[in-house]
Amino acid sequence: MTVTVTRPRRTPETATAVVTEFFDRYRDHDVEAMTDLCSLNADFSYVPFEIWGKQRVLRGDGKVRTVGKTLWRGLINAFPDLTNEVRSVSANDDGDVVVQVDIGGTQQLAWGFAAPTGRAYSEPHLFIFRVGEDGLIDSVTAYWDNAGISRQLGHNEVD
Amino acid sequence: MSAQDIVARFVDALAQRDVDGAMSSVAGDVRVSIAPLHVQGTGSAALRTVLDDLVTAFPDLLLTVQRTIATGDVVTVQLKVEGTQAAPYAGAINQEKHLDLDQAWRFTVDGDAVVAIDAYWCQQQLYRRLAVKRLDQLAIA
Repeated sequence: MTVTVTRPRRTPETATAVVTEFFDRYRDHDVEAMTDLCSLNADFSYVPFEIWGKQRVLRGDGKVRTVGKTLWRGLINAFPDLTNEVRSVSANDDGDVVVQVDIGGTQQLAWGFAAPTGRAYSEPHLFIFRVGEDGLIDSVTAYWDNAGISRQLGHNEVD
Repeated sequence: MSAQDIVARFVDALAQRDVDGAMSSVAGDVRVSIAPLHVQGTGSAALRTVLDDLVTAFPDLLLTVQRTIATGDVVTVQLKVEGTQAAPYAGAINQEKHLDLDQAWRFTVDGDAVVAIDAYWCQQQLYRRLAVKRLDQLAIA
């Protein structure tokens, strides 16, 4: 007897569903579960993330399972009530999913060069995902304005 | 003409620093949201000001499209903006610094016009490149 296992074909609807689930898990602060929705080698790029040291610039580029998880955990630690509100989701047949989402929280620990002041922020973000044929997220790219966040947190230095 | 074609017409014109050409793809009652510049509202006048300010401040503006993503009537363009500052921009005095900044512009198209634009970039990166030291003292070098 031959057993054939078929995976559900990726559609805009299934891609939207996995990305929506990603933000649900992010809202639950379940980084492992967020990562489970991503492929093993999923790419990660937080474009505005840029820390200038004396001899090098640290950027938010790499893989979900290395850079991504570290940043998500750090952000949740610094902002224990971190939450998100998805504003719009649009997807296509190629697995591209574009999401407008507001992310915010109240700062309790240092984040980057911003000392904790107990202030809160909420900032619009644009996420661009690529969902693979297997239904897992293959890449995560995000854009937002750190100046907007810094101002809300009372951190006015351009580090 | 597809949504992607209409957006390409806008971006191509802006890359040529042709603000009138870019605006010809935009509805008069376009909804504009550009958080880094605190621009939020309806009407093409605000968008025209944003584009005019950009091409005036960076007369050698180089706009490179990295990726265009069409998702129905929404078209998202990932691009890099480069240029040398030649006039005050977004509150920052001109120190003739070079700008290179990755951005994402999300366009909504209805019929043959762009009816909404949401633009995303990091103004902190922009100010860093223009040698601004503090967000509350933009004009002090």
